[in-house]
Amino acid sequence: MRAFDFSRAESVGSAAQHGNAETAFVAGGTTLLDLVKLDVMRPAAVVDINALPLKTVERLADGRLRIGALVTNTDLAHHPEVKRDYPLLSQALLAGASTQLRNMATTAGNLMQRTRCPYFRDVGSACNKRQPGSGCDARDGINRMHALLGGSADCIAVHPSDMCVALAAIGATLTLEGPAGEREVAFADFHPLPGDTPHIEHDLAADELITALTLDAPLTLDAPLARAGSHYLKLRDRASYEFALASAAVQLNLDGERITEARLALGGVATKPWRASEAEAALVGRPAELASFERAAEIALRDARPLAHNAFKVDLAKQAIVRALRDATRAARQGGTDTQESQA
Amino acid sequence: MMDDSVHSPTRRGTPAPTLNVNFTLNQQPISLEVAPNAVLLDVLREQLGLGGTKKGCDHGQCGACTVHVDGQAMNACLRLAVMCEGQHVTTVEGLAREGELHPVQQSFLACDAFQCGYCTPGQMMSATALLNDARIGSDDAAVKEAMSGNICRCGAYKNILTAIQQARATLADDATRRAGEGTP
Amino acid sequence: MNDLTQSTLAQPKVVGQRTPRIDGEFKLTGRAGYTGELSVEGMLYGYPVAASIAHGTLERLELDEALAMPGVVDIFHHANFPRLHRSPNSMGHGDQVSEVRLPFEDERIYYHGQYVALVVAESFAQARAAAQRVVARYRQETGAISSLLDGAHDSHTEGELLEDSGTTRGDPEAAFAGAAVQIDAVYHIAAESHLQMEMHATLAEWRDDGSRLVVHESSQGVFYQRNAMARIFDLAQENIEVISHYIGSGFGNKLFMWPHAVAAAGAARELGRPLKLVLPRAQDMTGGGNRPASRQRLRLGADRDGRLNAVIHDSTTETSLVDRYVDACGSATPSFYACDNLAVSQRILALNHGTPCPMRAPGEVSGIFALETAMDELAVALAMDPVELRLRNYAHEDPESGLPWSSKQLDKCLHSAAERFGWAQRDPGIGAMRDGDEIIGYGMAACTWFAGRQPCQARVELRADGTLFAACGTQDIGTGTYTIVAQTVAELTGVAVADIEVKLGETSLPTGPLSGGSMATATTLPAVAAAVRDALSALKEVATGHGGVFAGVDADSLTVAEGALSDGERSHSFAEVLEAMRLSSVNGQGSSAPGEEKKQYSFRSFGAHFVEVRVDPSISRVRVARVVSSMDIGRAINPPTARNQVEGGIVMGIGMGLFEKLDYDPRDARLINANVADYIVPVHADIPEIDVELLDYPDFKFNEFGARGVGEIGLTGIAPAISNALYHATGKRYRDLPVTIEALLADHASG
Repeated sequence: MRAFDFSRAESVGSAAQHGNAETAFVAGGTTLLDLVKLDVMRPAAVVDINALPLKTVERLADGRLRIGALVTNTDLAHHPEVKRDYPLLSQALLAGASTQLRNMATTAGNLMQRTRCPYFRDVGSACNKRQPGSGCDARDGINRMHALLGGSADCIAVHPSDMCVALAAIGATLTLEGPAGEREVAFADFHPLPGDTPHIEHDLAADELITALTLDAPLTLDAPLARAGSHYLKLRDRASYEFALASAAVQLNLDGERITEARLALGGVATKPWRASEAEAALVGRPAELASFERAAEIALRDARPLAHNAFKVDLAKQAIVRALRDATRAARQGGTDTQESQA
Repeated sequence: MMDDSVHSPTRRGTPAPTLNVNFTLNQQPISLEVAPNAVLLDVLREQLGLGGTKKGCDHGQCGACTVHVDGQAMNACLRLAVMCEGQHVTTVEGLAREGELHPVQQSFLACDAFQCGYCTPGQMMSATALLNDARIGSDDAAVKEAMSGNICRCGAYKNILTAIQQARATLADDATRRAGEGTP
Repeated sequence: MNDLTQSTLAQPKVVGQRTPRIDGEFKLTGRAGYTGELSVEGMLYGYPVAASIAHGTLERLELDEALAMPGVVDIFHHANFPRLHRSPNSMGHGDQVSEVRLPFEDERIYYHGQYVALVVAESFAQARAAAQRVVARYRQETGAISSLLDGAHDSHTEGELLEDSGTTRGDPEAAFAGAAVQIDAVYHIAAESHLQMEMHATLAEWRDDGSRLVVHESSQGVFYQRNAMARIFDLAQENIEVISHYIGSGFGNKLFMWPHAVAAAGAARELGRPLKLVLPRAQDMTGGGNRPASRQRLRLGADRDGRLNAVIHDSTTETSLVDRYVDACGSATPSFYACDNLAVSQRILALNHGTPCPMRAPGEVSGIFALETAMDELAVALAMDPVELRLRNYAHEDPESGLPWSSKQLDKCLHSAAERFGWAQRDPGIGAMRDGDEIIGYGMAACTWFAGRQPCQARVELRADGTLFAACGTQDIGTGTYTIVAQTVAELTGVAVADIEVKLGETSLPTGPLSGGSMATATTLPAVAAAVRDALSALKEVATGHGGVFAGVDADSLTVAEGALSDGERSHSFAEVLEAMRLSSVNGQGSSAPGEEKKQYSFRSFGAHFVEVRVDPSISRVRVARVVSSMDIGRAINPPTARNQVEGGIVMGIGMGLFEKLDYDPRDARLINANVADYIVPVHADIPEIDVELLDYPDFKFNEFGARGVGEIGLTGIAPAISNALYHATGKRYRDLPVTIEALLADHASG
């Protein structure tokens, strides 16, 4: 573990001033400390931002929910307004990591979470994300955990977050602050595809800080008469405390038996939190029944590029989609109360 | 063996700069000089001689290092010591009070909720935190899910669950009794 | 009052009773000192640099940057590590090691994670920081062998056939060829990690100008380590002390010493300062032992009534390029079922892994997976209840030795567990039992583990302060040995367990056995009992001698009860007896060893597991919902801790059945998932309802305590019970472990 300077930021402005390519901000520390110990991240300076006033959750006048960057995953998952209006987000958060890690991890930190690709995490392996131009040992290696969607010749590393999968379905905006002031980025645009620059993992300059995440208004807000339901389903080897092999985040509005609005995002199978827009479109106007779900699943995985060890995830992701759609439908029919377990 | 002809140990390099950090450890104020990159777990075990907090993976993957920071269960292996400035840190050494085992410790003993004992401090720190957290359900499934960040390779999980639920009952009885005593 | 002097342990008062662990409070308050948290004055920290390749040569180490880092004292490697000797590596002579190659012995790289250097610094953090700045240049070679299971190897033609590891009776090939019903199948089990919670750790301190070595090690066998270190460092055994008071478990990988301990002790001697080395988890997994992958072919021949007339069990397991470890998969097979024609063979294939070593129920657990899955396949082929098939082939005596069993209650295990499980309610149709989205599968397997004993010595003191002290150089790895020793002393003296101090895990104590093979209980307690009796006889001598409280009384007429001697009229506590003579204590020595009984009986524990799985085929999810087990282990000395062992074995069996697999990259044999997140073991949320019954049939033919041992048997039989339940649920036979989601999806896709 390399030496670094340590300081505490007293304000967002001063934190941003510290920011450069050699500096890492630390909030929960669950990614940073893990990767510094592995020598994967090598900051010359670490700036503790925990004293910044970014720990509140507030309802905006337009119905959106603004979440401070430093709200912990635990607090967010259990926040009354999140549980009521965004149960999908609460479920996804609680499906991730462990109690301890959720107590430490923050909203912004989760957005900045880095891949679990074993070749990325091992400095003895070739990895274009860790060391641009060095190659990708995962492509022809053990790639069970790797991406089916959004990969490139240079990188197939999966984005590991559960929270972000729910955000992809819900829709959100990030507020970033830097020397030039504040700017906003749509969540969908925050994580780029790896392309030939897999080391660029987000739209955040070194001297910028995420200050807030604002969730789009709940789907029910625009369609108050609709029956809305959601479900997050995470499939993995063991029952808890494991990254997803495939996960699906679903939000649906029903009008009778017909789907009037659908949101579908996937985790564990893509290089970024994966919004399956075409599959969503294929659901709208359809009856909420198995055939529609299966068709959406086919569409969502149409562009999958399986590798030697992860081809099974094509089927697994389809299964996650179909089951999550079914359970979200059930939730909608029960008045939005999601009683299904979210993890498998 | 240690004649001058062999290998003489000479310390090379320069000492690293340290930072001062002040926090409350097991209810006692503490002031320490630590390296900026010192990890709380290593500081507890190596600098303070508090070996109760265990190292099982050093990467937040096993839960053996679980401590309370301001009452919340956290992995001490993923926390810089300097980040604890002004915080309240509790380790397994701080669970028993005035020589009496905490109800969770008592129930772990009574239920044989451990074997080798290495994950046990972390299990108990998670257990005490969850018993204090009304947001976590009290049914077995909720407890098992909330405890899943604490791996027990000996596989004493069944007894750990029993011990936690037994401690829950003890704590509830104690609370009832205290409430009763408070009534004139 | 009963006289404990004459106790036969037939109707014990403390032995067999629930007794909270006497070391429990230390473990629960954080005061139990595991090796990694010990420290001594002037202690340095070591951190190994591990090879990042698995096959090739270390060409160069670039050390300048690391040597210049704060706190760094020195870096050891092939060119400057002292030249030591290898251990003879003999089990019989007590100097067995886990990997015979010495650290830094040559510059060949035989496996990923092999130590190429040891950085020594003033603190752990400094040592790690510098180790990461050591640059190792390798010449990597192609042709690394990554796994027995990577498809390139056929176990029946490859690997080395071990002529002395096989056994044959009758004419198995002919019997199989002529059998009315045949099962012929191949089973694969992935390499597994022990993943014991406490990594390997050594604290080495040279004293008296380097003439004496004191080593704290997280060890399941302090005497083996002492003896091996004596050979390696060319010292008299008396000048080495190995200490292991608390062990964060081992499951076999701490039975015998690994090279890290030699590196630590060697560096400590060179530097003249104590040195602590705790392996990081990744190195613990690459170079600290593993259960090797296995490939087994099982052939069963039976008549139409299900009577076995041929069993042929051929196994191949992995070993490393630097040692020869044999995981004897077929070792339980000859004794399991009555069958006149049987053959067992064993091969090993050397490859680029850290050396495998025993892991809980080594060999047998793998072999029983194959055998008990094959038995289920035979039951299906015969359309017979699998419980009935096992009863029909019941071995009423040991078919291998021809000796009668000392005590075998497998039939009662099968009946009792089946009853409690509700086996009779099983609809044997494939996928016939459903609950919502889930298919319910029922499966069962029998299980077994041999019962063995080792020579053992113990010492007991009766002290004037009323307390007792017992000592033996075995270890408590979490099984509860401290407590059962105290129970034994309490039983034979009537002194409360709370007044008994027990010391284990030091080579300065009387020679004790390995904590392994489920042998510690049956080995240790008879020696402790002998020492207690010897101490009581010394006490009686004191009491009846000149000036004693029973002066003139015939010593043999004195009886022992509740911590006191009595002549029938008067009673004096042990303390009074000692105080009257101004003695601080009396001492007793005891020893025990296996004896003639081995020529008269065969000794094995048996049991049965019944498992309910829930398969949700639409999301490819398998969960074990329920396990009901009955175990015939002789007498349980401390039933809660014995039950805990079986329950822990069941949990590990769920991991073996569904999750656990070391992933070696087929291109270069590097271990890809050497961490606790990517090597999947069961967590709390995976734990089913578990109902374990310990039958109470003391095996007095084995030893006076009637105990056979319980550490391994719970693990055996779980994986096949799961795979058999999966067959019942899905109609697909799972012969490869772990049963992955991939395998389930393949089933799902093929309908």
